[in-house]
Amino acid sequence: MRIHSIKLTNFRQFNGEQTFNLRSDTLKPVSLIFGANGAGKTTLLNAFTWALYGSMSDDVEEQDRMVTDIVWRSLPTGGSTEVAVELTFDHEGHDYRLLRRAEVRKLSDDQQRPSPEVQLWTTKADGSSETVGAPQERIYSILPRGVSRFFFFNGERIEKLVQKGAYSEVQKDIKVLLDLEQVERAIDHLPKVDRRLTADLKKHGGEKASEIQTAIDDLRERETASRDELKVLEGDLATLNEERESVTELLRQHASAAPIQKQRDAVVKQLDEARTGKSAAILERASLIASRGFLAFTDDLAKKTTDMATALYQKGALPAPLKREFVDQLLDDGRCICGTPLAEHTEPWEKVKDWRQRAGLQAVETAWQQLSGQIAPLSGARLELHESLQAIVKRISLEGDRVSRLEETKSELDGQLMDSRLEDVQQLESKRIDLDSRISVKLQRTGSVKASFEQIKKEIVQKTVERSNAEVTDELAAKARARSDLVQSVRRALEEILAIRSEDMRSRLDAELKDVFGKITIKPYIPRLSESFGLALYQNVNGVELAVPKSTGENQILSLSFVAAVSKLAREIRKERRAEGELPSDAGTYPIVMDAAFGSLDHKYQQEVSRALAQMAPQLVVLVSKSQGLGQVIGELMPYVSHLGVIVTHTTAEGDVSDDIELEGIAHPYVRSSADSDHAELTVIK
Amino acid sequence: MTTANRTEQDVLQALTDEERRLLKRVLEIERAKLHISAYEATDDLLGAVKEILP
Repeated sequence: MRIHSIKLTNFRQFNGEQTFNLRSDTLKPVSLIFGANGAGKTTLLNAFTWALYGSMSDDVEEQDRMVTDIVWRSLPTGGSTEVAVELTFDHEGHDYRLLRRAEVRKLSDDQQRPSPEVQLWTTKADGSSETVGAPQERIYSILPRGVSRFFFFNGERIEKLVQKGAYSEVQKDIKVLLDLEQVERAIDHLPKVDRRLTADLKKHGGEKASEIQTAIDDLRERETASRDELKVLEGDLATLNEERESVTELLRQHASAAPIQKQRDAVVKQLDEARTGKSAAILERASLIASRGFLAFTDDLAKKTTDMATALYQKGALPAPLKREFVDQLLDDGRCICGTPLAEHTEPWEKVKDWRQRAGLQAVETAWQQLSGQIAPLSGARLELHESLQAIVKRISLEGDRVSRLEETKSELDGQLMDSRLEDVQQLESKRIDLDSRISVKLQRTGSVKASFEQIKKEIVQKTVERSNAEVTDELAAKARARSDLVQSVRRALEEILAIRSEDMRSRLDAELKDVFGKITIKPYIPRLSESFGLALYQNVNGVELAVPKSTGENQILSLSFVAAVSKLAREIRKERRAEGELPSDAGTYPIVMDAAFGSLDHKYQQEVSRALAQMAPQLVVLVSKSQGLGQVIGELMPYVSHLGVIVTHTTAEGDVSDDIELEGIAHPYVRSSADSDHAELTVIK
Repeated sequence: MTTANRTEQDVLQALTDEERRLLKRVLEIERAKLHISAYEATDDLLGAVKEILP
């Protein structure tokens, strides 16, 4: 989606018709619009979302007053006027004109909230227009409403994107934008399709197939219940973890608890490492015993086997090292290797024939050779196993000691916090302990549900194989079975694609986020995106990674970095070859329209952010005040600016409040006093 | 089934033509209705299955 223009008609303080061209290219993607406080920057931002979705953000006051005050006042009672926003844009190869307008009738001095209608047209290749039948639906499919939070936002409020508790909502929108949501939904919906298909199989498929299908249906129900429970558990765990983290954070910040908490953070990290080390050693021991453990029972096996073989040779019970095939050849040729003729039933013939019985077959000989070859290294291998086992047992014991020691230290630190004379520290610690135990219960339940979920999945696969092999004579039932098999294969593939995409998206977003954030921030903080797409900021303190209590400014920078990363990834992924097939070259491209881009950042950060802005999206509309946007900011952005504008404030205030703004060496009106009415004028500078 | 190094392309290549067609169609249908949280997809998806295996 690339916006070409916006036209406002009597929209809030923008009276009459006012148009601004926003068409830009990749070299100069920025449109920079200045406006004083209250000039209408937030209104202009909201004009975009009102046109698209018919709503404005919560921070817009007096939302019923949609028509410009002066227009409303001059309208006679009973008369009507128009309020509208028109957007032109292109998206995935189509040009669109979107018009949301309302005819507002004046019944009293107070405005009633209008009920706007939306219309959408596409422009065809021959230049003619075609009305889109379900305009709102098309808009939602172009840019889903939730996703628009990443592209139309107020810089001062953007930190909400990364605040604790926000990510479960944000996570869903990220999934939409990064093509995960449709895969998840398909995985949820396909079992219902399968259920409908297999109803025929149950009805007409014969006793055996019907019985198997009933079992599959039952398993599917259990699978759905387990999946739902897992989702609830994951949500609960995320909330509890957040709560625990915020309690721990309070302990970190508490003057008297902070040193103990810091020590405990370090101990917890070491404890995790020690427990992981111990588990790894135990696993290694199990694997060693599973693969080579039998050697322990081969104490005198080698000697016994050699002795037995020798005795058998001596008794003639073991085949002589002479091949039966060789004796057969001599008998066939009728001559011994010593030259004696071997005529049938003569004495030499009988003697050689006698050897035939004692000679071994090639296969027996080879087997014996192999076995005897393995006897010798057997005792060496046994010794080696003994040494390896000793080393692992020692490691397990050392890691075990380390775990016990750290557990003791942690208990002591826990105790210190619990025994604190300060009541609030005690309360925080009690709360943390309570959260710990609740998390532990949830984790256990999660583990058990996951295990049963995996088992059910295996059983379904097994039953499906049984179903494929069951005899089905009815044509309708056979068709239903083939369709169900198809649906199940696709569902399995989608599950795999979801797992691959989720991890790919998370790691790429994480890397991109680190990159963008690293370029802007001046502090040694590292952002990290967790597996559940939760966003946090860390700092390395003496080898321990600690969560950083973020300031509003840091949250704003983190959010901007996040938006930049999401925007970039949304474009990138759609250029890759994926299950959805080929997509238009501009798929995943969206503009970013930001009000108060620099929020409450200081000058140093403003400069760094403006440097990063130009690379954030293929099209950027930046709304700033003079105090935020001049100086270094405009210096950084100007090479990328294709359109420059000012929202001139016309005020009825008397006195010397008029002000100008100097852009590219020329002064332009910024605030004009003693006007007939309070309104905004969108002027084009460039 | 899932291995650490398998890519989306690997998964797609392991499917039959019919499976690939259905997978693509299912994603198209779901993508078009992402904004409707209460979307009941069963009929549309069933239609897609029957188109591929008439």
